Amino acid sequence: MEVARTTTVRTVLVWILLELVAALQVPSTTGSPLVFSWIRTVIEPVVFAAEVAVDFGVNLGLGVRGLQSVMVDNRQMRVELEELRAREMLLRADLEALRGIGAFAGADAEFEAGALVGRCTYRDLVAGTMEIRSAHPTTLRRDTPVVSADGLVGRVIRSEGRRHWLQLLTHAAAAVAVQTEDAVVQGLALGTGGDVLTVAYIPRQAVVERGALLVTSGGDGIYPPGIPTVRVTRVRESEDPFLEVTALATADLRAIHMVLLLGTWAPAEGGSAP
Amino acid sequence: MKPRIVVLAAATLVVQRAFGMPGMPALLPHIILPMVWIVAASLIRKERHWPYEALLLGLAWDLLFGPVVGPGGIAWTAACLSLYALASVVADRSPRAWLGFGSVGAAIVILVQRLAEWPLGLTTSLTVENLLWSTLLTGLWCGLVGTALALDFAKHWRAHRVRKLR
Repeated sequence: MEVARTTTVRTVLVWILLELVAALQVPSTTGSPLVFSWIRTVIEPVVFAAEVAVDFGVNLGLGVRGLQSVMVDNRQMRVELEELRAREMLLRADLEALRGIGAFAGADAEFEAGALVGRCTYRDLVAGTMEIRSAHPTTLRRDTPVVSADGLVGRVIRSEGRRHWLQLLTHAAAAVAVQTEDAVVQGLALGTGGDVLTVAYIPRQAVVERGALLVTSGGDGIYPPGIPTVRVTRVRESEDPFLEVTALATADLRAIHMVLLLGTWAPAEGGSAP
Repeated sequence: MKPRIVVLAAATLVVQRAFGMPGMPALLPHIILPMVWIVAASLIRKERHWPYEALLLGLAWDLLFGPVVGPGGIAWTAACLSLYALASVVADRSPRAWLGFGSVGAAIVILVQRLAEWPLGLTTSLTVENLLWSTLLTGLWCGLVGTALALDFAKHWRAHRVRKLR
């Protein structure tokens, strides 16, 4: 059995060899020996398959790399999208605040002329300070009034580039000259370091009711007159010659994020109303 | 391989070549004279080995008669191996067996050679008539040789000489 198999294998090999020798002697249509044509015929599919396999591998690699790139890009785009959404939300809020400020400032041409919009970036209501950032670097003079759509916020105590620090009207050392809307009763709104302000120097005979709105009188030479400042929350008589009046700022100091810096406003001679 | 056999095989090839010379009868080239060597190897030889002789014979056949060297080697080894296989199942060693083996060998050589030449684009026309003539005449040739061996002319010649000397 083994001998027969060996004989068969040997015979087949010899026959193949003889056929190749014969093909070496026969010219093909191109002039080269026919055996070369056979070899090409045998090799070409292998080469083609190898090329296809290499192409497939390269394309697969590129695809994987591209997929990774796409995934990274996708992740970045998601992050950017979230960032843009957040910015959009902020811009919407800013726009709404600006509209409010615009409505507020539009009523007084003097505000509108030199107003500078700023964004609240930090607040410390306990300390009574707030940090505002403007779009462009500018240096504001000390005591520049700052208002929001709801009313007075405070004054600038330091300005550097785009950053401006405010003293809120609730600051313990803050004082604002206020009056009733009809300008009959005048007083001085004093910060207490908390949410509540004290309105001092209101005579006992003055008619001030709870809920009354007090606006700036301009008497302090810092703030322009007519800006809503506080709303009276409590009125109490005492043995003193003045009423004990407490009030809350009309501006929501906890929530505001857009303010108007009245950089070019200057008090009139003698602190009179403009 | 004995030198005498080689010389005789070469002689058959030369005669085969002569059969194809112009002026010779048209049927003579149909006889494959060297076929007798592989028929003899399959019918007489007890020991079987890979047919180197048939390979050499085929290559020589290609050199003398073929367009390229190679297909003849395939055809003659194929014929030899086929006859080996046939001899292992056929017990007859008479001249009739020689005739049959010669015919089969001739058919195999012709067909396998055409088959081996086919991929090379060298296949010549082959008709059944030619194939039959070749198998018939080659078989007769081999049968003739087998008859001569069976009659053992050398033995009769030696006996005749002995009787004459007395």
